[in-house]
Amino acid sequence: MAAEPYDVIIVGSGAGGGMSAYHLTKSGMKVLMLEAGRDYDPRVETPMFNTNAEAPLRGVGTPDKPFGFYDATVDGGWQVPNEPYTVAEGSEPFIWWRPRMLGGRTNHWGRIALRFGPLDFKPRSRDGLGHDWPIAYDDLAPWYDRTEKLIGVSGAYPPQNLLNTPDSPAGCLMPSAPPRAFELFYGRAFKAMGIPVIPMHGAVVTGQMEGRNTCLFATPCGRGCAIGANFQSTTVLLPPAMATGNLTIATNALVYQVDLDKAGRAKGVTYVDRKTGEHHSATAKAVVLAAGSGETARILLNSKSAKFPDGLCNTHGMVGRYLMDSVGTGVSGQFPHLEGLPPTNDDGQGTQHTYIPWWGYEKQKELGFARGYHIEIGGGRHMPSMGMAGLVRDDESLVGDDLRAKLRQRFGSTIGFDGRGEMIPNDDCYCEIDPVAKDRWGIPVLRFHWKWGEHEINQAAHAVKTFLEVIDRLGGKPEGHVETDGRKAISKGGEMIHEIGTARMGHNDTDSVVDQFGRSWAVPNLFVMDGAVMVSSPDKNPTLSILALAWRSADNLATVAKQGAL
Amino acid sequence: MSTESPEPYVSKIDRRTALAWVGVVGAAIAGGAGVVVYGPKMGGDVVTRGYGTDPKLAKPEKAPWSRIMTPDQLTTAAILADYILPASATAPSASSLGVPDFIDEWVSAPYPDQVKDRPLVMNGLNALGAKVLKASAADRAAALAALPKATDAATQAFWKKVRHLTIGAYYTTEAGFKDIGYIGNVPRTSDPGPSDEVKAHLDRAFQQLGL
Repeated sequence: MAAEPYDVIIVGSGAGGGMSAYHLTKSGMKVLMLEAGRDYDPRVETPMFNTNAEAPLRGVGTPDKPFGFYDATVDGGWQVPNEPYTVAEGSEPFIWWRPRMLGGRTNHWGRIALRFGPLDFKPRSRDGLGHDWPIAYDDLAPWYDRTEKLIGVSGAYPPQNLLNTPDSPAGCLMPSAPPRAFELFYGRAFKAMGIPVIPMHGAVVTGQMEGRNTCLFATPCGRGCAIGANFQSTTVLLPPAMATGNLTIATNALVYQVDLDKAGRAKGVTYVDRKTGEHHSATAKAVVLAAGSGETARILLNSKSAKFPDGLCNTHGMVGRYLMDSVGTGVSGQFPHLEGLPPTNDDGQGTQHTYIPWWGYEKQKELGFARGYHIEIGGGRHMPSMGMAGLVRDDESLVGDDLRAKLRQRFGSTIGFDGRGEMIPNDDCYCEIDPVAKDRWGIPVLRFHWKWGEHEINQAAHAVKTFLEVIDRLGGKPEGHVETDGRKAISKGGEMIHEIGTARMGHNDTDSVVDQFGRSWAVPNLFVMDGAVMVSSPDKNPTLSILALAWRSADNLATVAKQGAL
Repeated sequence: MSTESPEPYVSKIDRRTALAWVGVVGAAIAGGAGVVVYGPKMGGDVVTRGYGTDPKLAKPEKAPWSRIMTPDQLTTAAILADYILPASATAPSASSLGVPDFIDEWVSAPYPDQVKDRPLVMNGLNALGAKVLKASAADRAAALAALPKATDAATQAFWKKVRHLTIGAYYTTEAGFKDIGYIGNVPRTSDPGPSDEVKAHLDRAFQQLGL
């Protein structure tokens, strides 16, 4: 490796790594990208239009493919073979989703692309809880604009002017596909409750966009997209970066250490080849970590030296701290009024067409929790899966034509309501190096600590109550056992796959790991450009913000490099 | 009344795959922890591995694990699947769509959920087989009709599980799509949204709900 001198090594190829590579290579810098997983080409590997009957076990999830056979994730899930992690004794559960593939989790993500709002950057100033970012919404807004125009985002609509739910400027978004039957249906209940329903912002090309294919309004985005109509690093960011001639990609390269020179500057990284087990080092003028919040923290903590005996950039114990996830809740209902609907194609654009942004910003004192949640709602007549039998109750012992008729009548009459809420960072949620456990190559692994706070638990209870009210207003019945106790209804730590924090940005080296451009305080040519830099975990899904922050940070890196100030 | 044997079930899988499974059917071997593991009667390598963490997705390969159901169990599964979903005026029967092969694929799989279902389904098929394989048509019909009304926990669980597997296996096929009214999974240049007919249905619902 390193046949040529590289300007920058980027660790990771997902949202943060892909965007960094896109901008830095376009700025003329020579980039070596190191990806822990295998090479992956969505154009030929995506199971577009495959039916579940073609898949083993009709596509149900298994330990080998936890989100189902067709989920795009390669060599991963809640466990990655040979690469364990641990959860501390006494901790609440924490689970960690990792793929091992080029493009990382951008290949299977939910494509929900919501901007953080102005309040999300200054939570402490607003209510004294959590921490403020060193930047404000206005600092990131132009980068949101550019990101939306680059990756392709649907959801255009006349400005809503809702509090802390930014409208994108004209020209940033494409129109969403119209609401489907179940979306029109639930919309009435929320409107009756005085709660706005607006188009979802989804990273899906729904109109004409130069250089991109338009969505086929079929086949789930979680499988990936062979025609590149939704956003994946592997279809949208890496091909143009490669076309510059400035990008070299090495796969199966599991980076575990940042190497320093005698002056304390980063000179490169060391990695193990996951296929051969051989260890290699690569050098460059600067290093960007974008391996995902957990893996980025692990690399820093495993990079020990005389100057940094507790891990690189960890002099003040800030690496691994303030690990956050989204608050997840869910209730589904079955609705007699949706039964017997005339035939309709509900495949849609992959993301939800509409959603419910958080509506209670001004009522939080009385609500008993300081931060809110938005609601993602799924339903309609999706391609049948093994779940079809759930349409008849066990006590309905129907067979034959009666069974056929009942299934046909109820097909598409269920709706699932999912809350995705803000978590306030706390001292009990962090990751560190496990003192004993190591991966297959002898590299120490992460140990997680997790504890939800009262605000999150109360929020979860509120979400469940809201879903039950909506289901009732729509004449439906909740399905299965519904947990109304927030402590039981809330998701596991990490389960929403929005783990962020661990190397946050801040005002100085005692309150944070990096500055507002992801540049580490301790090592001037070391940068972090993934979700690790985030200071708060708003209800809005983090990927769009990871992209916008990475672009802003990469632009700063390129500028600094041109000034010779690296 | 004379007994009439039902037609033996003929697998709907391709011949090459079927040949690979020859010899992997048969005797039950008592395994550890009180779990009955069904293994090969003779010859052939038993494959118990899953498809791994990086299977080919665009053109999936057949599930690699050996199948464990006997011809009698497959025939019993066909009789039961066709009791649950016989041919209708417009749709084929469950057995003609290979549902028994799917049940075999399921109970043979090495994953925890399926391993948990294995004794439930296998024991249930054995018990049912004794009542339907060499029985009069009337006795067979009675044995099938008794299943949903069974009061013992094992039979209830068996019935629920096999109906679940049959419905899932059936409606995930193209014939199942047609029967249930799924018209998606086709490329479109735009999504026009619901038809006026669908919207009219919703308007009636809103009126009834006072929304």
